[in-house]
Amino acid sequence: MQLAFYFNQTRCIGCYTCVIACKDWNNLPSGPASWRRVITIEKGKFSNVSVAFLSMGCFHCTNPPCMAACPTNAITKRGEDGIVIVDKEICLGKDKCGMICKDACPYDAPQFEDRFDAKMQKCNMCFDRWIERKKPICVDSCLTRALDAGPLQEIQAIYGDIREAKGFLYSPKVRPSVVFKPK
Amino acid sequence: MLESPEKIIMTTCASHCGGTCVLKVHIKEGIIIRIETDDGEEPQLRACLKGRAYRQRVYAPDRLIYPMKRVGNRGEGEFKRITWEEVFDTVARELIRVRDTYGPESILFLFHPGDMPQIHTPKQIHKLLCRAGGCTVPWGVASYQGGVYASLVTYGTWRTSHSRDDLPNSRLIIMWAWNPASTVTGTNTCWYLAQAKEAGAKIIAVDPQYTNTAATFASQWIPILPGTDAAMLIAMAYVMIKEGIYDQNFLDTFTIGFDRYKDYVLGIEDGIPKTPAWAEPITGVPASTIEALAMEYATTKPAALMAGPSPGRTAYGEQYHRAAMVLAAMTGNVGIHGGGGGGRTWESSTWYPYRMKFGLVLDDPNPVEQVAVKGGIPSIYVRTAVHYVDLPEFILKGKTGGFPRDCKLIYLVNCNYVNQFPNTNKITKALQKPEFIVVHEQFMTPTAKFADIILPITTFLERNDIDLGVGTPFYGFVRKAIEPVGECKSPLEIARELASRMGIADFEDVTEEKLLREEVKGSEILDYDEFQKKGIYRIKLEKPYVAFKKEIEDPTTHPFSTPSGKIEIYSQQWAELSDEKLPPIPKYIETWESRNDPLAKKYPLQLLSFHLNRRTHTQFDNIPWLRELEPQAIMINSVDAEVRGINDGEMVKVFNDRGVVIIPAKVTERIMPGVVSIPQGAWYNPDENGVDRGGCANVLTKDQKSPGGAFPYNTCLVQVIKI
Repeated sequence: MQLAFYFNQTRCIGCYTCVIACKDWNNLPSGPASWRRVITIEKGKFSNVSVAFLSMGCFHCTNPPCMAACPTNAITKRGEDGIVIVDKEICLGKDKCGMICKDACPYDAPQFEDRFDAKMQKCNMCFDRWIERKKPICVDSCLTRALDAGPLQEIQAIYGDIREAKGFLYSPKVRPSVVFKPK
Repeated sequence: MLESPEKIIMTTCASHCGGTCVLKVHIKEGIIIRIETDDGEEPQLRACLKGRAYRQRVYAPDRLIYPMKRVGNRGEGEFKRITWEEVFDTVARELIRVRDTYGPESILFLFHPGDMPQIHTPKQIHKLLCRAGGCTVPWGVASYQGGVYASLVTYGTWRTSHSRDDLPNSRLIIMWAWNPASTVTGTNTCWYLAQAKEAGAKIIAVDPQYTNTAATFASQWIPILPGTDAAMLIAMAYVMIKEGIYDQNFLDTFTIGFDRYKDYVLGIEDGIPKTPAWAEPITGVPASTIEALAMEYATTKPAALMAGPSPGRTAYGEQYHRAAMVLAAMTGNVGIHGGGGGGRTWESSTWYPYRMKFGLVLDDPNPVEQVAVKGGIPSIYVRTAVHYVDLPEFILKGKTGGFPRDCKLIYLVNCNYVNQFPNTNKITKALQKPEFIVVHEQFMTPTAKFADIILPITTFLERNDIDLGVGTPFYGFVRKAIEPVGECKSPLEIARELASRMGIADFEDVTEEKLLREEVKGSEILDYDEFQKKGIYRIKLEKPYVAFKKEIEDPTTHPFSTPSGKIEIYSQQWAELSDEKLPPIPKYIETWESRNDPLAKKYPLQLLSFHLNRRTHTQFDNIPWLRELEPQAIMINSVDAEVRGINDGEMVKVFNDRGVVIIPAKVTERIMPGVVSIPQGAWYNPDENGVDRGGCANVLTKDQKSPGGAFPYNTCLVQVIKI
């Protein structure tokens, strides 16, 4: 089974509530390491301008490029749900290894704090919450109910199978586990 | 060793962000470790990022956790720790001294909401001061005084909103400078907007800025020059009259004075027909666009004109709100599902079905005469001698400046006055003058730095209270989740301590519990204990709440609360004022500091102050999780940036005769040329030359109130140059 995210880009108001809910749940300090990010895509010239928001965590790819790139096998993919996790004990740290995983990821999922040899950290799809039959904190926080998560096949059955959105390119090689309603 | 158990406290957020949302606070060993939100049945009352970040606010390293007295000069921020005993003794002594020496009217009670619960509000200190002999209370609500004025004149009430779940009933939603993605204005507002859009509603945004709400939901963006909204609305009325597509039957039945308005619109009154072609050069909106929007609004029903408060925060901003309401009446959209009266959209908790007893209603009898202002119609706010915008002048000059009294002591609660009221540099000068300044605060804000004594205040997570739902009707119990941080106290405790030292008996038996029980008495909540246990009491309405429904369905039994009992397009009350700047019908009046002002040669850009959703006014600006989301920067269109050689992210100097701000530029297509915008609420941070490095918009705004009391934050000319 592979868990996947759904993101309804037509509903996202760019409010960052998912970002903060994630930091609070996972007790992340302020600073550059943010497991969830919202990016703004502004296009066009006044007054024909279009703006879209994209909320991104880790997409827990079928073939995670971070995992392939990691020199110490610190990154693994869980068999039971396909969640990609990192073992901080094994991770070399950003200065020793040069953040190869970050470079390998097309979606900016691997995150590092701004200190010497900070270990990689990233969205773990709130695997602790699934145990309590709860969805990831970002999903449960979204003010416009633009996010969802579940087994990929169920998500596809509910929302269809559009794999791209404004600001997001689907990589057939790594196969990110995400379905969109694009703007 | 056994781990101590984690418990979850269900409470509602009492912050002033515009919602009142469910927070589930995880506590371990008395410390908040996480905050979740509503995960029950839909509609869940989900909290925004500010509620979710509240843990960082409660435990912020810069939180004020013990009382302090000033040791440096006012504004320098040098304080030393003192005991509560010393605080209470000093403040009580000063209050008595000033009252006995100069009279109670020389005590200025300066406040704004701060938070939005019912008990721990400025009301407690107001009551104390009133019992002690009275005080001067300034009038005006910074956010929407123009809307209050206009609603009272037109509808006889300021309760003009629908519950937010009525939005999906609309076929057309015109978001006139309405940006709930940032300003919230009711839990779930954007969720209902999404539902409206998905149900097929057409959504159009009229706004100088392409806001997040516009970007997400609007299929059309109509940029309009600041301060000209009334002109466009009046031109839309012209189109409807010319095309004969307004609801004459509605106007005949429910309104008075449309003929007088028609005479003005058609130019019979003043020889100037208010055509779209007339409005085009004023508003910057093409005549054809004005015409099309008028046709669309008149022919799509039901349609909701969501008239946001920011165009009302201009000189003569009252006229914009009045013109919007008249248009809602002309299209027959008042009192129906999916429609809307075009009234003020910041509907807090003042609407049916709540029975507000406390909150911000400062109804304790004040022995100091609160002289009614000229044209002041009876309302809870419009009745006192000094307007907030005039305060710097009042504090500096008092009687010598023609005011009815002097200001000797300021008791300041829940208000970052230096930062959030027009003309910061004048305010900081004024605050050197009073003999004594007391401030209730949670952080060392730009205002707290001017205090003689700072009283550290608990957050709503450290005390019990009640919330009234905004946008969705419910009572929420604000449950104390943790013990007060440091030595912080609640406003009620402070009032009680001061009262006992001042010989005032009224607070002796006033407890939190007693007030809370009193608050719900007579409401839908029959069992207080049950409510307290559950944490929330939802008011089930069969259908979404619609303002003025009964007035429209049964006008004979339910007249409007105006003198005529009708929607007053023409107001006899205001006609009697004979003030051409407060006309009895809505009119377009050109603002000061407009693009046509000679001053525009020197300062050619119109400055707006808009809301970022990472702050609530100045609150949360210092919270790291929130602060790092978006930098404080001035929005400037690429056309204006290019002629000034400004690239995105570069530092610029924003200035006029009132002050100088240095902040980064955000070069964007999301704002119209000729207009720049500084997100309001960033903390004033002057350097040694008095140049603000914090990005406080009010360093630039003018301390001149609009005749109806609107705060003209968005009437302001500036220049921007690269540094």
